[in-house]
Amino acid sequence: MDLSRRGFFKIMGATGAGLAATGRSAAAWESRAPEDAYGCLVDLTRCIGCRKCEQACQTVNGLPQPEQSFDDLTILDRKRRPDEKSFTVVNRYYSGKIDERDQLIPTFVKIQCMHCQDPACASACIVGALTKKENGAVHYDASKCIGCRYCMVACPFEIPAYEYHNPITPRVMKCTFCYERVAEEGKLPGCAQICPVEAITFGKRADLLALGHQRIKDNPGRYLDHIYGEKEVGGTSWMYLSDQPFEDLGFIQVPEKPLPQLAETIQHSLFSYLWSPIVLFGMLSGVMWGFRDKGDRHIDREGENP
Amino acid sequence: MSKKSFIVLLLFLVMGLSGGLVALHPESPGSPAAHAAAAAAPPAPETPASTWTAPDQVAALERAKETVPFVDAVMDECKLCRQMRLRETGLGTKDIKHSYFVLNSPIINAVEDHYGPVRFMHSKHAAQIQDCAMCHHFRPLGADASETTRCSACHQEAFRKDHPERIGLKAAYHQQCMECHRDMNQGPVDCIGCHNKNVPEHKDKIQLAANPTPFEVTEECLRCHKAAGQDMLKTAHWLLKGPSPFTLGHRKEVEIGKATIATNNF
Amino acid sequence: MSHTPRPLRAKFWTPGVVLMAFLMAAGAVAIIARYIGGIGYVTNLTNARPWGLWIGVDVASGVALAAGGFTTAFVAHILSRHYYEPVVRPALLTAMLGYTFVVLGLLVDIGRSWAIWKPLIHWNPNSVLFEVAMCVMFYLNVLYLEFVPIVVEQYKGRVHLPGPLSGLNAPVEGLLKLLDAITGKLMWVFIIAGVVLSCMHQSSLGSLMLVAPTKLHPLWYTPILPLLFLTSAIAVGYPMVVFETTLVTSSLKLDPEMDILTPLTRFTVFLLGLYLALKVGDMVVRGTYVYLLDGTAQTNAFLVELILGVIVPWVMLVLPKVRQSRRGLFIACALIVGGVLVNRVNVFVVGYRPPISEANYAPAFSEILITVGLIAGLMFLYRFLVTYLPVLSGPKQEVSA
Repeated sequence: MDLSRRGFFKIMGATGAGLAATGRSAAAWESRAPEDAYGCLVDLTRCIGCRKCEQACQTVNGLPQPEQSFDDLTILDRKRRPDEKSFTVVNRYYSGKIDERDQLIPTFVKIQCMHCQDPACASACIVGALTKKENGAVHYDASKCIGCRYCMVACPFEIPAYEYHNPITPRVMKCTFCYERVAEEGKLPGCAQICPVEAITFGKRADLLALGHQRIKDNPGRYLDHIYGEKEVGGTSWMYLSDQPFEDLGFIQVPEKPLPQLAETIQHSLFSYLWSPIVLFGMLSGVMWGFRDKGDRHIDREGENP
Repeated sequence: MSKKSFIVLLLFLVMGLSGGLVALHPESPGSPAAHAAAAAAPPAPETPASTWTAPDQVAALERAKETVPFVDAVMDECKLCRQMRLRETGLGTKDIKHSYFVLNSPIINAVEDHYGPVRFMHSKHAAQIQDCAMCHHFRPLGADASETTRCSACHQEAFRKDHPERIGLKAAYHQQCMECHRDMNQGPVDCIGCHNKNVPEHKDKIQLAANPTPFEVTEECLRCHKAAGQDMLKTAHWLLKGPSPFTLGHRKEVEIGKATIATNNF
Repeated sequence: MSHTPRPLRAKFWTPGVVLMAFLMAAGAVAIIARYIGGIGYVTNLTNARPWGLWIGVDVASGVALAAGGFTTAFVAHILSRHYYEPVVRPALLTAMLGYTFVVLGLLVDIGRSWAIWKPLIHWNPNSVLFEVAMCVMFYLNVLYLEFVPIVVEQYKGRVHLPGPLSGLNAPVEGLLKLLDAITGKLMWVFIIAGVVLSCMHQSSLGSLMLVAPTKLHPLWYTPILPLLFLTSAIAVGYPMVVFETTLVTSSLKLDPEMDILTPLTRFTVFLLGLYLALKVGDMVVRGTYVYLLDGTAQTNAFLVELILGVIVPWVMLVLPKVRQSRRGLFIACALIVGGVLVNRVNVFVVGYRPPISEANYAPAFSEILITVGLIAGLMFLYRFLVTYLPVLSGPKQEVSA
């Protein structure tokens, strides 16, 4: 019993040491965020809830026509989520404030993939079908996908949707950041181009951050001093300016640490160059060699045998 | 433009539904609906040889095609200072050269063109507001530069790298117009309040035999525009019934009309 | 102690087996429906709840409960405790079938079943799931290789295929000889590799959820989740062996093997105690005990998992009286098995709360049918293989052959 216990201690020791190593090398994890990525800054104080972005998205991405027309603005109150048929939706929120004519002042919130700088979905994806591109887009390659849906589990913003009713070739569906349009045709994302009031500003992420902070500085009364997406989950390509607290507008509080960091740190410190499996293998071989003829001599001490 | 074409459209519907279409179309040039109707009636030439357009409209359309060089730097002054200075210079409605503009800039149309152009009544707005600085919120920097200049001098393409803070022309129009309309509680804030919808070419959509009867024409319209037909039947224009809030002495219900007692039911 | 494994050769179509076949057929119908109408047609999975019963039970619990394979191989072959040999083969068979059905369950669950091979060529070394998939794939092959001697023992030199297939007798015989030669010389490699691969992916299964800190309830979300998964898998290994051996020996009226099972569970006292200490310690260190009396579904599920699944059976196993009673031992081990099952379901389903949509999930009937069908299929195959291959040790006491 004692000896076998010791053997177990050794296994535990090996794994324990590995896990302990994770703590030490936690700082070693490095962000793989692209240097010069594009992004979009959504200014919620500008959005007028016209749903033109939804319409442009549907056209540009060849998505199916919705049941209700894009001209129907009553749907704004429904708190929709992006799904496999629409990559972006606009919802209306009321803070309870009223204007001079006793009308409730609405705030419109556009939702789409945030295109995280260090996307959890791309870290999770078993085959690398989801990748963070140099231009900032989190890009999905259906030809690699096996449909495990781990990306959907990983996404903190609950964005990827799935074609659950396609039995053989379902796809993960989410905002593409109009990757082909931007990268190959040099155009703007469909939504940013159509927006009549430039609620969506397209540009390099670094420039947008500067612009956002400038807007806050120039209009301190108009904006909260917070750009959602500057630090959230280590930064996102899509960012938001608002005059209402973000938590009242359907935004959740997320850690400022990139979500892949913990799991990747553990994985890499345990399995880089497969050192821990090799060490464990060697230790077990040694134990097996050492015990090759001795195991059963303790059987008699397994006291509880009748 | 919008009001006129609205009336034309309504007339077209009224007349079309009541079988009076044939008499109408020579008088309504330029209206897309009339154009469609013209295309629909084969006896008429395919494109009217002489489409008359008002000379001021022609001039406005021509003006709309112009672009001016981008103004890089503007004079930095507070809004109040600017208002006072403009008042001192004596700039006012009398200096307005063009009473209206058709906002149909190639800068916007180069990227997209979803709606018809807006006819912006410059004089009317100026007369009502009496404050040039309201819209002409900045001026070019140079000492000899004009105090007022067109929107598209400073606002051109969206997301310029050299001027990230400066919004594009389309957003400048929309933000300026809509915010002011909302603040003043006057003027439209929805899309079709200012724009016509870009009506798609109906030439290929309309399927009519040669020499159609008025009823066939109406039926053909209704083939696609079912809801428009139903809506029409409920309007005061059709029923000649209901309140006339803007007519002296007729503010209450008027119970004479096609829906009740036919007086002029042709 | 003359435990010699041999084929059961008992009547196969007992009422229990017929019931299994019926459940399999029902599951098969649901699986056909899944491949006609899509996953959305047979499940209640949504965009906010992409993983449900299949991942929680078929995959995560399936892997955990197959831990008996590598833990018994460790004690019997690496520590050379040949005394425990009689339970090694059944545990190995359970593990082999368990992992086979994990893969079958995955095939049903993933949207593009036909693309399941793609991780072989498209690698994402950052993905925890990639590591799990690679380990499961290699380990499944290791399990098959470990099983080879059982087949060889039964058929080597006796290959006698019926009728038209008799022409294949010689090649099959040759293949068996080759496999025998390879596995004979290299079995130690496979045994150790099996333990190493198991440690790797049992822990990594826990790392899977580390990417979702906003979604997994804080009672379960801990950086030591992989360690908890590993220790619980190791701890559940022997109880699972006890659980299934007791079920099998009592249903087939074989020797209850108490003289092996009782000492085996003495390891469990230590291993389960370690798991309990880690789990409670983690809760104390992170201060998550504040949630315990929330009364929400999550916290109640955690209490069930911790009290009924760990503390109660641990206390039972500490008592020698329980360990020596067949019924007591079975109940304690069943509780541990249930506790680990509940833990895996909790981590992947119950404790998973998407904070934006706050979507709920309960499995659909057809979803349950598929899970039940797969489990029935596993038990059916187990019964089939022990009937024709030397897995179980021969009847000793309650002879009924």
